[in-house]
Amino acid sequence: MSEEVSITKTIDARGSYCPGPLMELVKAIKHGQVGDVYELLSSDSGSAKDVPEWVNKMGHELIYCKPEGDFWRIAVRKTK
Amino acid sequence: MEQPKLSVILLSGELEKLQAGCLISSVASMSGMEVNVFVTMEALRSFRKEVIEAKDFKAGLIGQEMLNKQVDLFYKLLENGKEMGNLKVFGCAMAIDLMGWKKEDFIDIFDDIIGVTAFLGKAAGSQVIVM
Repeated sequence: MSEEVSITKTIDARGSYCPGPLMELVKAIKHGQVGDVYELLSSDSGSAKDVPEWVNKMGHELIYCKPEGDFWRIAVRKTK
Repeated sequence: MEQPKLSVILLSGELEKLQAGCLISSVASMSGMEVNVFVTMEALRSFRKEVIEAKDFKAGLIGQEMLNKQVDLFYKLLENGKEMGNLKVFGCAMAIDLMGWKKEDFIDIFDDIIGVTAFLGKAAGSQVIVM
């Protein structure tokens, strides 16, 4: 669907345990610009639930959250 | 809207409890909550420089695996929580006095050394988690 999204930066947090991947994403968003899209790669299965929850809570935009092999690919747009 | 508040009281020196308490604290901070962490009793010992350098923690099966896999430990999680939001860490004045410890015996993470009355003031109206 949203294949045309341009990714500002991909963060490879594979191999890191909870809350490492979320933390990496939060860091990127905190230091980024509004409109930036960050793609997180995580092999921590909790990320697939936790990251969308965080994004929703903080009011950013989840673009996709999809499994790919043995990891997850999650993209988030910073909205504020 | 007032910022939701979480208070976490760390009592235990067990690595798993320290890790769980600090993990919840850091994620709460990253999620926009005001977090106040009070460290006392055996938990306080685990914040001493010499204990951290020697990784001299009380660890069960899961704690041992955390050490083996070199995950970011509790103090690192608190640092991240501080960096990413509104998280403060307080050491217990009573335990420090009792043990004759000094502020410089600890890693540089404490915002202040306070007593229970001061902490209760900070914790007023918050959710509280005790570990």
